[in-house]
Parts: sequence; C-alpha cells; structure tokens
Amino acid sequence: MTPSQDEAVADILVRWQPYGRAGLLPCLIDVQNHLGWLPPDVCAQVGEVLGVPLADVYGVATFYSRLYTQPVGRRIVRVCDDVACLANGSPALLEACRTALGLAPGETSPDGLVTLEVHPCLGHCEHAPCLMVNDQVFGRLDAAAAERLARAVRAGEAPPK
Amino acid sequence: MTASADRPTWQAIPGYEAHLLRRVGQVDPTSLADYEAHGGYRALRAALEMTPAEIIEMVKASGLVGRGGAAFPTGIKWESAARQPVTPRYVVCNADESEPGTFKDRVLMEGDPFAIVEAMTIAAYAVGAEQGYIYVRGEFRAAYERLANAVAAAREAGYLGKRVLGSDFSFDIELRRGAGAYVCGEETALFESIEGKRGMPRQKPPFPTERGLFGRPTVINNVETFANVPHIVLNGPDWFRRIGPPDAPGPKLFCVSGAVERPGVYEGPMSVTLRQLVEVCGGMRPGRKIQAVLVGGAAGTFVPAEHLDTPVSFEALRAIGASLGSGAVLVVDDSVDMLEVVERITRFFAHESCGKCYPCQLGTQRQWEIVRRWQAGHHRPDDAERLQDIAHAMREASICGLGQTAASALMSVLPRMVTRFEGGNHVSASDADH
Amino acid sequence: MSQQVTLTIDGHQVTVPAGTTVLQAAETLGIEIPHLCYHPALTPPAVCRLCVVEWEGARTLVPACVAQVRDGAVVRTHSERVLRARRTILELLHSAVDLSEAPDALAYGQALGVDPQRFADGERRHFPVYEDNPFYVRDYAKCVLCWRCVEACGDDMQFTYALSLGERGFHTHIATFFDAPMPETTCVFCGNCVGVCPTGALKSLEEHLLEQGIPPEHLSAEKRRRPPLEGNRE
Repeated sequence: MTPSQDEAVADILVRWQPYGRAGLLPCLIDVQNHLGWLPPDVCAQVGEVLGVPLADVYGVATFYSRLYTQPVGRRIVRVCDDVACLANGSPALLEACRTALGLAPGETSPDGLVTLEVHPCLGHCEHAPCLMVNDQVFGRLDAAAAERLARAVRAGEAPPK
Repeated sequence: MTASADRPTWQAIPGYEAHLLRRVGQVDPTSLADYEAHGGYRALRAALEMTPAEIIEMVKASGLVGRGGAAFPTGIKWESAARQPVTPRYVVCNADESEPGTFKDRVLMEGDPFAIVEAMTIAAYAVGAEQGYIYVRGEFRAAYERLANAVAAAREAGYLGKRVLGSDFSFDIELRRGAGAYVCGEETALFESIEGKRGMPRQKPPFPTERGLFGRPTVINNVETFANVPHIVLNGPDWFRRIGPPDAPGPKLFCVSGAVERPGVYEGPMSVTLRQLVEVCGGMRPGRKIQAVLVGGAAGTFVPAEHLDTPVSFEALRAIGASLGSGAVLVVDDSVDMLEVVERITRFFAHESCGKCYPCQLGTQRQWEIVRRWQAGHHRPDDAERLQDIAHAMREASICGLGQTAASALMSVLPRMVTRFEGGNHVSASDADH
Repeated sequence: MSQQVTLTIDGHQVTVPAGTTVLQAAETLGIEIPHLCYHPALTPPAVCRLCVVEWEGARTLVPACVAQVRDGAVVRTHSERVLRARRTILELLHSAVDLSEAPDALAYGQALGVDPQRFADGERRHFPVYEDNPFYVRDYAKCVLCWRCVEACGDDMQFTYALSLGERGFHTHIATFFDAPMPETTCVFCGNCVGVCPTGALKSLEEHLLEQGIPPEHLSAEKRRRPPLEGNRE
C-alpha cells in the first residue's frame, strides 16, 4: 500500500470502530473502494479494530459477490445476462465485450486494468440490455455500442456517454 | 447512453392517477424544499398530531400489505412490534431490491427519496422506534446517494434527529449498502448483514417484530410499502380501499420489462390484467408474439399467453398458480429459447443460494446442472421426477423464501421442457455420470 | 413449575413442559426423528433439515430441532410429504459429499430407501486432505456443513473463533482466515471440533495415520514429521 492508501484505510477504520461488528460490512466496502480489493493484512486490521474474529471477517468478505479477496481490475465491466436483458439481446453484448476486452468472464487483463464479469440482474431492466462499468450503468446498448464502450474502458478512457 | 437518459420509464396506467409516482420526475429529488412544495412532510405533521395507536389503526384499516413479495399486512406488523415490551425498537427499510425483473424501488428512491424518509419517520413514531436503517442494494449508487442526501437534509431541517419537529419523539436513520447478495433481501438475512455477519436467513419464528435487528423488535418494510404510508395518513384508509379490488387495495407499481415496446414502472390498481400491462407498454415489439410472462421475477412463475386476461390481484393470480411477488412482469417473446431463460433462472438461484440449509445449497446447484445438460442436448428419462423431488425438498424444507421459490419458475414450464426431449437424445444414467 | 403443553404427534397425545422442542417431545414417545446437524451441546443451526416435520396449518415443513411445542398442535413426523423431503435431501447430500464415515446419515438413508447414486451426475465437492498440524486432519470432501465445528470453536464451547464459513451456496466450505493452515490461526487444538464432527471430516492425526496403514509402532515418528506449531498467531 502507498502511504496515502495507508492513511485512507486508517481513516476508514477510525470511522467504523465505534460500530464494532456492525461496522464490518460498510468498513469492508469503504476499504475496497480505496484499494480495489481486500488484501489479507487489511482484513486482519479490520478484524482487530472492529473486534471481529479474523475467520469471520473472511467469512463475510467471501460471502458477498461484490467483495473481492483477490486483486481485480480497477474497472469492472459487469454485463447483465439475466432474463430481461436476455430477452433484449444480452448475448451479443457479452460477446462484444469479450472481443473488445480480450477477456472471458471472470478474467482480469494482465495489466490489472479491467475485469469482465457476467452479472445477475442489475435491476435496471427498463433499460435492458445493460451493463455496468464500476458503479455506472449503461443501458439500451446494442452490440456496436457495447463494443465502443468496452474499447474505451480497455484503453483507460472515460466511458462514452 | 446512461440509464434514465431519454424518455421517462415510469407513468400511471392511462385513466388512473399516480400517487406513488406522483413526484417522480416532477420534483428535484435532491431538494427538500421542492419536496415540501409538492406536499412533502404534510403527512408527518399530521401523524404527529395523532397517537401512535391511531396511526397503526389507520394502516390496518387501509388493508395495505407488504409490496416486497410476501404481502403481509403492514398494520398488523406495526402493531405487533409496538406491543413488544422491549426497547430499543428499530424500523428498517428493505431497499435491497434484487429480484430479477424488479426495479420499482430503485425508481422511487432515485425520484422521490424524501418520501421514504418521511414514511419511515411516521412508522418509527407509530411503533416507538428511535433508530432506523435503510439497506440499499449495492448496485444502486444513485439511489444510495439520493437517500443519503435526503437523510442529511431532513436531519438538518429537524425532520430527523432529537425531538422531531419539536415533539417528544426522536428518530434518526442510517444507510447501509449491500455488496452483492440477493438473499439479503430476505428480512432476517438483511439483519444479519447489518449486524456484520454473513447474510444468511434465520429460522423463523421468532419473527422480526419480536426479535429482529440486534435481537430487538423491528419493523421491516419494503420501499414501496413505505411509500404508501404518507398517502394513507393524509387521505385515510377509505380512500386507499377505493383503489383496486377489495382483496388487493391500494396503488401498486408494476415493473414491466422484456420484449415490450416501452418497458418501465407502471402504477395502477391490482385489478389490471397482464394483457393491459403489456398494452400500456405499447405492446410487443413488431412481429413478435408473447411466449410467456414471468410474473414475480425469478422467484415467480411463467404465465402462458392464454392466461393474459388474468387480473394481477392476489386471488386471481393464485387461481392460476401464480403470484405477483415483487411486481415483476417480464415478457418473454417467441424469439427467445425458453430453455435459455430457464438456464438463467436456475443459474441465478445456484449463484445466490446462501448455502445455509441443505435443500437449497444442494438443490439449486443440481437443478441448474440438469438444465445445463439439457442445453447440451442430454436428457435423462428420470430428470423430471428428480427435479420434482428437488423442488419438493426446497419448497417444503428450505429455511427461507429463496429456497422455497427457487424451483417455481422451472416447475411452471417443466411439462414443456420435458415434451421437448421426448423421442430423442436420452442418455442412460451411467452415461450421464461422466 | 413450568407450564405444560399438550400436543399430538403421529396420533399420540403427549404433554410436555412449554419450551420443549418437537424433537424432544417426539423422543418421549419413542419416536425417532432423523437429524444430522443437531447436537445437544450446541446451538441448533437447523441447517440439515432432515428433522423437518409436518405441522398442521403451517405452510411449509418445520424443523423439529428448534420448533417448540404448542398447545393443540398436530404434528406428523413420518408422512409421505416429510419422507420425500428427507429422502431427497439425503440423496442430494450423497451426490456432493463422501458419507462413507457418516454412520447416522447412512442409517437414515437405509431406513428411507435412499438411492445414493440418484444425483451422481452432479458436481462433487472436492478438497485436499489438510494435514497441517500435529493433532488432527481435515478432510472436507466428507464435510456436510453441519456447522458443529464452527460452533464448538466459537461461542458454544471454546471461544477461539478459528473457523467460519467461506463462500456461499454449493461452494460454501469451512474456512479459516484466508484459508490459512491451522497453526497460523487462533486454534488452540482443544479437539472439540473433532469431537463433534458427525462425518469423519475431522479426525485425530493418529486415527488418520492408522487408516493410511502406518503401523502403530511408527506413529510417533510419523507424527513428528508433521509441521510444528511455531508461527501460531497467538
């Protein structure tokens, strides 16, 4: 971790310490927002500060699909593949992302920039088919638009609106 | 294009007045002043003039039932929590909307967040709670930010915090985010999650009103359920009962998606039929025909085209073996392979099972595997019987609603799936082992 | 004196103190209800669902290990609705887990007419055998996730908290912190987890070595070859 990351994590721990165990999930979410994932040494710190047994910290961290106990891409492309998106052509979107990113679902690019995931329903079905890049939702995409978007993400550019 | 960019994807069904969606798109969802200018916080002021018992009576008399899927009477829930001798008590808003095909709560949170905060405050006054939580699905960043802003603005203005509006009643709200777990929409799993544990459901009883969050009496309601409360307080239970059929009073949000022209959130009475909902959305895409409608999301059932004239009231849907659940109406057209759809649903449950109880932990996996094998063209003569037994075990013996409904959609199309394989592609049990 | 409750189980009336579970009440009538996760010394996690019974008026079956008796309740412990669920749960368990050293599960299966191969075309849970300490081995291919070891390690017995559950769904497994070897955890090697394990997933190293064919006279030499305990976090 860089010194500034160290400091950020320390601030997060101070913020959630008064909550004890009830601060565990928000604390892990905040830490991950800063570091991109949940490294073991930081999880151990979290457990010690909040008074949560370390095994339980791990149990919680591995329970939620948006928490990562291994490094993932700084940008996570989550393509919805659920029923509403399927009914609107999501397989073509997924294929476009695979091709443009050169990644299979679950894979991270070697430079650590992008991870591709297939995701259950994202809850934006009125905009199907959709995908998310980190926290941002992109809806009503056709394969060409998805490919443009994925190429921009891969190139480290801001996603096109 | 980003979500919510072009045309509104929410509206009342023609000929019907919007209540829950009234302010969505009409007010600045970040402005308390705008909310107040559009009738906001009148209900709380009115509520504080009443006794808590009077409010509970009103909600009971309205016939409002939970809009998250279980349809439990809201007033009875509140009364039960208020009767508990134990304090503190909690009010929790279940905003972990994760049922596939459901997005109404997100639209309310993004478009009218103060209404949720106001409604929770009324509920807290009614049941004697001083602390509330809103647990927002992790994917809903905009909704989370709008709610966080609303809570802060309400606190600043004295609508939350010590001595709300100068009364003796104090109440505040904290926000929590989910992190990718459908099961946390189950109320006791949601409590576990807030408590810093794995989001695994608890065995009920005890029910949340008795021992809920942190083991204390807790009222937990869905976002849409809360959204009804200010209207009931302002307009009275009789007004509420005049909307919709007698067995399903009040306004309802329907999430219509899939192969329709204008998918979106539509508000109307529960006397509307599935066909009307499809028509309100501009009907099917050109040249497409309805294959089936998935009512209630992944936890729901497929309703075949011949039942489209069924009203979406509880009774009418029950009569055809369906349930409105969270309000998802997902239209599948004839261009989609039903086997693909069923694969998504079974995969969903295998992915989202928490793994606590055996029927669901193992059954969701096995039913997904069997469907995947069908996709690969392999079918065993005993598949239907095996799936029916898995469905029985999950429905009857699982701890929570996830397992209890994990086979519903598949079971509703099982005969069609089996017919498809008749006459070919059988593999013997020993072949399938490999 | 505590309040008495009268209910009907399989057609027999029985009167027991309030707070008694259906499992206990059935026992007083000599009715045996299968159960795998329940252990009298531990908090019932009610996860195996083998003890489910039919409770008149209830929407679903209810777990007898935690359901408390109520006046006038009518309970059936061996109806076809119940047996079908139990049978399927055991068949599913057979398909994922090695039950060869789980005598209770095997006996229940026999009594219920379970076909252990019924779902054998499904994925099994594979794990290496962890031999990472001088006292016991962990063979999670035999683990049914009854939670007993986690509870014995935690609030119910030892207050050591070396174990939790990791992942979820079918892939749920007993986990230490980042799956660290036992000597690197808070484990104090009390052996309580081994004592309560119903399936042979946890067993003493000695027993394991004997099963591997190590002659008794070579046991101590063999045990000395195991990783020492230095590096224990505590």
